[in-house]
This record gives sequence, C-alpha cells and structure tokens, in this order.
Amino acid sequence: MSEWSRDALGERIFQILRDDILSVEGLFSPQSNLVDAGLDSLAVTQLMLAIEESTGIWVDESLLTPENLESAETLTALVHAQLQGD
Amino acid sequence: MVAPGADRPARVRLTGADCFLRAFDAEIARTNGASHLSQLVLRLGPGFDGGRFRALVSEAAEAQPILRAPVRRKFWLGAPVFDLRAGRSRPAPPIDEHDGGDAPDVDAPFPARFEQRLNERCSLRRGELLRFDVVRYRGDAATDLAMTWQHLLFDGSGSEHFVRWLDACWRGEQRVDTLPDPDELASPSAPERSASERGRAARSWQSWLESLATRPMRSLAGPRRRTPQALRWDVLTLDGSDSERVVAAAGRRAGFLTPMLFYLAVAIRAHHAVARARGLDAGSYVVPLPVNLRPRGTAGAVFRSHVSLLWFQVLPDQVEDLDELIGALKAQRLAAIKAGHIENGTDAMDFARFAPTRLYTHMARRAFGGELCSFFFAYTGEFLGRLESCFGAELRNGFHIAPVPPSPGSCVAMSLRRGRLNVTHAHQRGVFSDAEQSVFRDSLLADLVRGT
Repeated sequence: MSEWSRDALGERIFQILRDDILSVEGLFSPQSNLVDAGLDSLAVTQLMLAIEESTGIWVDESLLTPENLESAETLTALVHAQLQGD
Repeated sequence: MVAPGADRPARVRLTGADCFLRAFDAEIARTNGASHLSQLVLRLGPGFDGGRFRALVSEAAEAQPILRAPVRRKFWLGAPVFDLRAGRSRPAPPIDEHDGGDAPDVDAPFPARFEQRLNERCSLRRGELLRFDVVRYRGDAATDLAMTWQHLLFDGSGSEHFVRWLDACWRGEQRVDTLPDPDELASPSAPERSASERGRAARSWQSWLESLATRPMRSLAGPRRRTPQALRWDVLTLDGSDSERVVAAAGRRAGFLTPMLFYLAVAIRAHHAVARARGLDAGSYVVPLPVNLRPRGTAGAVFRSHVSLLWFQVLPDQVEDLDELIGALKAQRLAAIKAGHIENGTDAMDFARFAPTRLYTHMARRAFGGELCSFFFAYTGEFLGRLESCFGAELRNGFHIAPVPPSPGSCVAMSLRRGRLNVTHAHQRGVFSDAEQSVFRDSLLADLVRGT
C-alpha cells in the first residue's frame, strides 16, 4: 500500500505541473485543461519522470489518454490508482 | 512585442542549430552546387490577390531586415550572425508568378517548379534567404503558393509562425513592424548552466553520438555521394477516414502526446523495406528527431532554429515488428530525456558555433563512416491549425518539404491539415529507383492504413 494519500498526491502533482513543467499564470487550477496549458510531448515525459521521482511509480505513456490528461485532478486519479495497484 | 520605431539590433547571432544547418548548406554547395532550402506549400482557393501579396512581402522585408540579411562571421571570427544592417539595403524576397493553366483538384499534383526551386543556389552571404513562387490557375479558381527559404532562417514551427503573422498583417490584425511574440530574436528558454557545466554537457552529448557510431550504419544513398543536386519530392495525402484511423492508432500505440514515435517507426520500416528489397545490410538505422525548444505556452520565436536533436538507433531485427519498434523508440527517447540530452545537444551546438563551419558534418561523417544518418524525419503535428483561410483565400491543404543533403538523400516529413495526414518524401534523384519508390510507398501505406 502506498504512503501517498489521494489529497497529498494531488497537491504534489499540481505543484510539479505549476512550478516545474508548465509556464502558467495564476489562473491555473487542479481543474485546468493540461493540454491547453501547454502540456506537450516533452512536458508529459518530464512530468512522468518527476512523478516517478516523487512516488517511485512509472506511469506508462500508453495510459496517458486525453481523458486522463484532462486536468491535474484526472491525472492524480490515474496515478493514485496505479499506486494502489489497480 | 517590439515597439514600432524601437531600435533594432545591427546583428543577430545564429543559434547553435542554425550553425548546424549552415554546415549542411556549405556541404550541399560544395558537393552539388545547391543550397539547404526548405519549403512550405499552400494550396489556396479563389480570392488570392497577387499584387497585394507582393506589396505585403515588400513591406514586411522593409520592417524585418532579417528576411534578407547576409549571414557571415564578423571579421571571419566569432559566431556567425545575421547582418541586419546590411540586410536593409538588400532587395526584398523575390516573388515569381506563373500561369498554372486549368484549376487543379485539391489532390492534384503540385507544380514541378516548386521542386525545381529547391535545386537552386541561394547565397547566405548575399542574404538570399527567402523567396515565393505563386502559381495562378485559370479563372482565379485556385492558387498554389510555395515559400522557399534557407533552412536556418526559420525552423518548421518558425515558418508556420511567420505565415500566420504575415496573414495577420494581411487581415490588418498585425502591423508589419511588430511580431506576435516577444522572443522573436531572443534565445529560447534554457537551463542556467555555468560554462564548465555546459562543457560537460556538450562532451556528454558528443559521447552519446560516438556510442551510436559503434554500430555500423549505411543510408540508402551511401556515403559521400557527389551528384548534381536533383531533389525531388512526393506527397501522399490520406483521406479523412483513413487519417482519423491513423491518428487514433498513433495515439494508442505510441501515446497520445507522443504520436511522432509511431510515425517515425513507420518511416524507419519504409526505409528498411527498400534496403531489404535491394539486399542492402543497413547495419542499423540512425535517425535524428528535432525537438522544439520554444518556451511552453508561448507562440514562440519566429526567426532562427530553436530545436535540439534526439537521436535514435535501431537494429534491423528490431524493425520487423511495428509495436516492438515503437517500444524501442519509446525506451530510447525516455533514456535520452532522462540523461538530459536535449539540453546537452543545445549546449554542444552552441559551443560549436565558434568552430569552422564544416566541423559538424566532418565530425558526423568521421563517426559514421562517411554518413550523416540513415535519413531525416520530422513530424510537425497540425499544419497551420485553426487557420481556415490565408491571404484572403481558403487554405485547402498545406505541408512542409524538409531539405536533405545528397547523403543520406531521403527525408520524410508528416503533418496534418484539416484532419488529413500529409506524408512528404524528399529524396535525391537516383537514391530510389522507381521500383524502390513503390516498395517505399507500399510499406508506408501498409503500416499507416492497412495496419491500423
């Protein structure tokens, strides 16, 4: 079982996106669309590497569907499910 | 945005990637008397006004002297620059108009003169950086427009930004003395590194390339091919339903934000099919993939090249199964990003700006037994996305033609326009026989259409 609660994971992923991956202004929120905010092929790989560094889990790019990358929230749901071994 | 009337610099440095392209230009000039030219082709509907376009280009060149600036080293030393001051006294980019006869169907072949234009010499030292060819069809029913440029003036993204900006000027939404992005002449974002860190990064990138060279590699053109320049190109445009299926398959098999790996795999397999038909042992396939370095969330710089290169190498055994090949490419891409080779490549190319022009190609050829790579490849996504009309006419289709030196002699570029996939293949005459071109095309179609 992972040490990450869903809320803590969501906070961490949002922080990575906001501070390290995307060049976003104040309007960026956990519900913001990631592709519209500038998530591209390189950014998504850097994001997965940062999540791996934080949580120890690698999310394969084949799982990164448009639905899963809709927002920081939907991405958190995917990563959390992976951490729970779903 | 540069304020109207603000002071402009007298010179602008070439980026490291520009210098890489300048080395290719020198090589092409030396071996076959032509230039390293790229092309962007627009197929327009009725409504294009040639006189107004000519006036607009002339005004744009007046306001943006980089469009005709000589590229040179100051006193033969230091990094090469665009000499903007000298550019101000150069003529505007030429526009040649031609009569195309009866109007073509949207999928009809493109004018042969576009292809011919890529085989001419355009001198960097004289600022011959950009030109247009306009083919008007009878009754003003349609126009084909080709923008041909020295590849170091814009990269693929930059050329699309430029056309968007020019079109915005046409609509009156922009002024010709402004550009839509504040980074127009600035370097793209890059991590802050000390000189010694950058030196280590450059050496790391060089070692990476040298590690690729430990396996043999042979392009379809063969090493050091010296023939008169005769670059040809073909475009394969899939219909809407096939394209939709291909796009879905690319996302599913390679990742929805990394579809380029699916397209790259398809291109490798097409070259492999030709090598196998020829009985050629390619040794391995080594292909560079351009990576856009523009800051995220911005329109991006217009002029100069803002790219780094990720290199891939696969063995013939890994090419047989498409999904296995995509898996190998995904793993290599991830490893290269983890190792920092995108940033390392930028540093390496930046250092080499001060080196003699031929150093790049000399080093690559020495490492790869006289070759540069197996072929060139680019996937540029949606071509002028959301731009339904351009210069007053419906934009029916459009794509890029990327240049390629005589060796490796083959370059595949893919993009989408209005939901249709365009695959352009630029190749030097003689590298592919007619039969081999059929093999190449069949392999592409088999993977893109029949395999999805």
